[in-house]
Amino acid sequence: MNEDAELLERIRNGATDDFAEIVRRHQARVFAVLHRYERDAHKVEDLAQETFVKAWRALSQFDARAPFEHWLSRIAARVALDHLRREKRRRNEIGLPELGDDALDWLRSGDEKNELDARNAAELLDLAMRELSPLDRVVITMQEIEGRSVKEICETTGASGVAVRVRALRARGKLRRALEKLMKDENEQKQTEPSV
Amino acid sequence: MNKNKLNRLFELARNEPAPAPPDGFAADVLRAVYREPQATTLETTSIFDQLNLLFPRIAFAAAAVIVLCVALDFGLTTAGMPGLDEGASQISAQWLLTPEEFQL
Repeated sequence: MNEDAELLERIRNGATDDFAEIVRRHQARVFAVLHRYERDAHKVEDLAQETFVKAWRALSQFDARAPFEHWLSRIAARVALDHLRREKRRRNEIGLPELGDDALDWLRSGDEKNELDARNAAELLDLAMRELSPLDRVVITMQEIEGRSVKEICETTGASGVAVRVRALRARGKLRRALEKLMKDENEQKQTEPSV
Repeated sequence: MNKNKLNRLFELARNEPAPAPPDGFAADVLRAVYREPQATTLETTSIFDQLNLLFPRIAFAAAAVIVLCVALDFGLTTAGMPGLDEGASQISAQWLLTPEEFQL
């Protein structure tokens, strides 16, 4: 933390090259945040670069009251929100990707304790989250996946505490319905397939 | 889809590893930063920039002084006392040069 502060002070005094060290320290965290919203690794890289450039532009506004990492994560979440808004129309046009059998079996099974690997779970969740508005998706992801507090979500999204709670509740309902619909669609598709 | 199953899905998805940043990512970011217009952190401000920034305040303060003087002059004249212009002439005559001295 203190090392960040020293480095940032040097950057403010003109040592621009030291910003590369800031990037090296925090790049894994930024990639992790952005990967919650975008599954294409190349796009994640572009978004990560956008995040760091925005952080550079706003460096004079960082007041060190919160850790630099938290400040940077908030910028990353805002970059993700803008990205989701840009991508929403296009994603609706390209249709849904195929889900693996493991994910569908897990979805159909009545027991939630059945095993499903993290990648399939994330794919399944990503698919269901396409039913949400970009802001609802950011709210539910920050709350449920990243474990952020309501206050942090408010600071990132600019929404009030009540609005964040309402959005999270509504998003959970939509997700449940989206997953049920997915299950139903897959069952219907299986029934219409000719038996071999 | 019950509540517990959705919670379990969140829990499982949370463990997915993120893609690793490629080698040289920091250098790419630095190149992008150098392409940026002059960063705010490195800006230097000249006396004219500072005056430009202060201009609205200076203009407001000047207007306030003018309004104050006009109001004071009006108040003094209404009360039958010498106005500000007369006071200024007296000060000028007592402490500085009189109009006659100017003419000399």
